[in-house]
Amino acid sequence: MPPIRDKFTIHSKAVVCQDVELKGDITIGAGTIVHPKATIFAIAGPIVIGSGCIIEEGAIIVNRRKEVMRIGDDNLFEIGCRVESPTVGNCNTICTRARVHHTLRMSSYCVIGAGVLVVPTEDEMLDEYTVIYGPVAERRIWSGRGKVQEMDLRRKHAEYLREMLPKFNRLRRGDGT
Amino acid sequence: MAPKIEYYCPCLSESPHPPPPNLPSSSYSFHPLHNLFFCEECDAVRCNRCVLVEVSGYYCPNCLFEVPSASVRAEKNRCARNCFLCPNCRNTLTVVPSDPPENVDSRTSPIVSTTLGEPPFFLYCNHCRWDSAEVGITFEKPTGLAAQLQKFEDSAPESLEFERLKEHFEPFLRASSSSSTLPSASSHHVHTNPITAAASSALARDIPGVGKYNPLSRSRVGRDKAAHRQEYPDYKSRVEIGSAAALSGEADVEFLRHLETVSEVAALEQRWTNSWVSPLPASDLKPLRIPLQSKKSKRCPSCRHILIKPEQKAQSVRFKIKLVAANYLPAIAVTLPHAQAAIEMLKRTSKSASAAAQAEEQQAAGALIAGHSYSFHLAFTNPLYDPIQIRLAKALAPVQTAEGDAAAEAAERARRSTFQIQLPSAAFPVGAFAEAWEYDDEDEDMFLDDDGMEIVEARGKKGKDGRGKTRSVGIVEKRANVTIVSGEVLIPKEARGDVRFNMLVSYTYRSDDPEPSEEAGVGTPSRSHGTNKAPEMKNFSFYTVVDLGPIMYREEPKLTADL
Repeated sequence: MPPIRDKFTIHSKAVVCQDVELKGDITIGAGTIVHPKATIFAIAGPIVIGSGCIIEEGAIIVNRRKEVMRIGDDNLFEIGCRVESPTVGNCNTICTRARVHHTLRMSSYCVIGAGVLVVPTEDEMLDEYTVIYGPVAERRIWSGRGKVQEMDLRRKHAEYLREMLPKFNRLRRGDGT
Repeated sequence: MAPKIEYYCPCLSESPHPPPPNLPSSSYSFHPLHNLFFCEECDAVRCNRCVLVEVSGYYCPNCLFEVPSASVRAEKNRCARNCFLCPNCRNTLTVVPSDPPENVDSRTSPIVSTTLGEPPFFLYCNHCRWDSAEVGITFEKPTGLAAQLQKFEDSAPESLEFERLKEHFEPFLRASSSSSTLPSASSHHVHTNPITAAASSALARDIPGVGKYNPLSRSRVGRDKAAHRQEYPDYKSRVEIGSAAALSGEADVEFLRHLETVSEVAALEQRWTNSWVSPLPASDLKPLRIPLQSKKSKRCPSCRHILIKPEQKAQSVRFKIKLVAANYLPAIAVTLPHAQAAIEMLKRTSKSASAAAQAEEQQAAGALIAGHSYSFHLAFTNPLYDPIQIRLAKALAPVQTAEGDAAAEAAERARRSTFQIQLPSAAFPVGAFAEAWEYDDEDEDMFLDDDGMEIVEARGKKGKDGRGKTRSVGIVEKRANVTIVSGEVLIPKEARGDVRFNMLVSYTYRSDDPEPSEEAGVGTPSRSHGTNKAPEMKNFSFYTVVDLGPIMYREEPKLTADL
């Protein structure tokens, strides 16, 4: 396997802490916040993260396929989650300790509940507004009520973090290691 | 399976001997120490099966509001405030306002204008994202939701029917309750609180013959019912039964005929919290008010002394009175030293084995193989502030002596094929419990080095043979308030099953009561020990069952895997 060449393209308005493990070709969009102790591994292919995403501690985003892994805008990756999905749309929420396999692709406004293990046997694309919850990963479609408030809340969350995190953590900037 | 030990509670039975441990039904009489209580007046162990339970208060698990007992009946055991259960995933629902009207430029819209949000409000589950607007329930105000929902609940056909039934039977109930339940209520009113009295009188009212056993009142209730049987007029229900069936029965059948997926039908967990029959289709399930939970206090069955009394506040998990057995009986932990050693070796050598394989190897390493003998360690922890002397004995199972040679032969074979246990026969002391910083003085007296783990030879310990320290039966270690003794189990070749045996533990301790020594011979009951120490010594004994695990049978000695 060819050695992984690190190439980080971090937008100037993004907040990426020093303690984050980055590997491979990673692009991080404007306004995205990566908490310390997060892990983003672009092992086989590059990862492109959109704007306004919040990646919390212990989150692991791994790309083991050669294609580009695209993550959209305003997503929330909560603590301890593990995402290998090749496509993640906008405004999704992957809750604490959820694990998403690489066969699953997410569209927008999906919610993967806490601790849920989503391992479909074949490639699958989640519809918009799908909610996966419970120990056996039951699914249902959310009506979408309350999504404006939720996006509002996420924007406020991101703004607060953008203000607070640099005060207590060193930031990592720009290209190279 | 790790070796474990459980304590026996006689549960007010006449014979103090525990049942033989290999019977499957005997497992109900043995409990781990943390489940047991201890009554100081009766000096006896009590368990959850024999203790009297009373309700000491009701509270809502969501808002932690203590509900007074009068409201409990009025609100039908549910929370009267804004606490609801999601019908989909049984999580708590929150009240949320609806979204503000969408702007064209939704990305740059400012923060929501008012803190309260805009009506209509609805219930929303954060976990599965179900909301009550799906079943059409919305509110104008975010508070007092139960009152707003009350209208819906009251107009349900089942509750209207129930109200009619209650009105119909009201005069008869009043007449019979005034005559028959008064004597029984006063006789056991002394010990119960109003909540329990209300509940038990309600039960006695509904089911004839239940209630405090009082032959006088029982016959009186029977007489009343017989008298009343002639007086009941016929009850006319609100809805004709034939047509009522059409409402629910046939509609359900129609729905089931057109089912596409199984998930359309409501699951059992979603339906059984509801008081009335809930609709079959999962999409029709309504949010439920959260059922109240109760805080219970427990009493000794014979002397009615309170053993457990929780605090009145719903948030606090502590107890006002907490007489648990762990504060009186020594805690016993049983380990197999050869299993520990094998696990340590496995851990050191195999680093790359998967978790499942490692667990299996550990289990196999700790197994008891037929034809060998093993020693096991019992660690006794003394909870009392005084040192105690413990004596162990094998509990003799009540053997049924049957006549006949066949029975004798069977008994002989049984004796040959069961395992033999050797326990230390002499009494050994266990130090008193004290705070951690007070133990330094004791350590220096007891041990030769500053090492806390020195193995001490205590008096009267070595059994028949003084082979090696680890193989002999007796005290292994004494440290602070913990003493570890070792026993041996010999497993003959034909033995099968689990190694499980009853053990009688008796210990003597200085009692807390400051009685002067002259009264020791007179005032104390017969169980005083009679040693020549100044305060009286009390003796207590209890049975335990020690389970060392199943016996594995191997043809040849186990080969250790190359790692």
